[in-house]
Amino acid sequence: MASRGSMIPELEKMSAEQLKSIKEQTDLEVNLLQDSLNNIRTATNRLDLASTALHDLSLRPQGKKMLVPLTASLYVPGTLDDSEKVLVDVGTGYFIEKTMGEAKNYCERKINLLKSNYDQLLEVTSKKKNIADEAGVVLQAKMKQLAGAS
Amino acid sequence: MATSSSSPPQLDTDVAAGRRGIPAASFVKDVQAYLNQLGLDVNSALAFLQERLQQYKVVEMKLLAQQRDLQAKIPDIEKCLDVVATLQAKKESDEALLTDFEVSEGIYARARIENTDSVCLWLGANVMLEYSCEEANTLLQNNLENAKASLEVLVADLQFLRDQVTITQVTIARVYNWDVHQRRVKQTFPSQDLSI
Repeated sequence: MASRGSMIPELEKMSAEQLKSIKEQTDLEVNLLQDSLNNIRTATNRLDLASTALHDLSLRPQGKKMLVPLTASLYVPGTLDDSEKVLVDVGTGYFIEKTMGEAKNYCERKINLLKSNYDQLLEVTSKKKNIADEAGVVLQAKMKQLAGAS
Repeated sequence: MATSSSSPPQLDTDVAAGRRGIPAASFVKDVQAYLNQLGLDVNSALAFLQERLQQYKVVEMKLLAQQRDLQAKIPDIEKCLDVVATLQAKKESDEALLTDFEVSEGIYARARIENTDSVCLWLGANVMLEYSCEEANTLLQNNLENAKASLEVLVADLQFLRDQVTITQVTIARVYNWDVHQRRVKQTFPSQDLSI
């Protein structure tokens, strides 16, 4: 991280106001990135649940008696029909019918994609956080200087 | 949580009276008389009023949360009613129903529903009961009406609460200003006794 070492002299050259605005800006960016990280984590959890549920479903035989949820609190007794075909929600209101294997594959690929996005985002976030921290430290030193001089 | 009882609207003249547990705030016409009536000095009166304000805020949070819950429940109950109506309509045609149900968020699988007269309703608290279509319809209608009535009562409560908050804030401001005024007068006329 050779760039980090050369950052501090540049930060010290700037005035206190500039430092403050830089720190505020970077703090905002860090917050936004944290939100995105949280969203990705939630989505990954959901997909994990979905993949577990799929696996469970594949174990059930066709024609098995079950209670079919028609809404969140209404269930109707019925039988499972062909668990080999499932509908997968791919976003923007589109549902694709896939076989069990394809659906499991889709879930895994999506989870891997999200995980790699998450890792990349984590790197960027930690870099930005470092910049924000350094700006804060230099700002405090400057304030002390100014307070001591006046 | 769906109670349909509501207390009749109360006038805000009596300090002790309130609405469903919310103490009413009476409007103060004369600050001196108010302080004499309470028998407190200015600082304790201010502290008391501030505490009242905090209590109001807490109750407001609670009511807002309840309102959000109800507003989420009502569309759900309406959907259930629609589904039961569809099931009843399908009964005439006497054929099995193929539906896609949610296995998990984003995954739907197909199931076949034979013609059946009974539905199971999830009542919460790990309780699920089986009902005939008509009974389910009645129950859902009742729930819907209760929820709507509770929501109305809640909205009225929130309105009342907001009024009380405003009255209390105005009272705090007036007591404080009166105190400032008293101090200023005392400073200019230190010898005079101001116990009017």
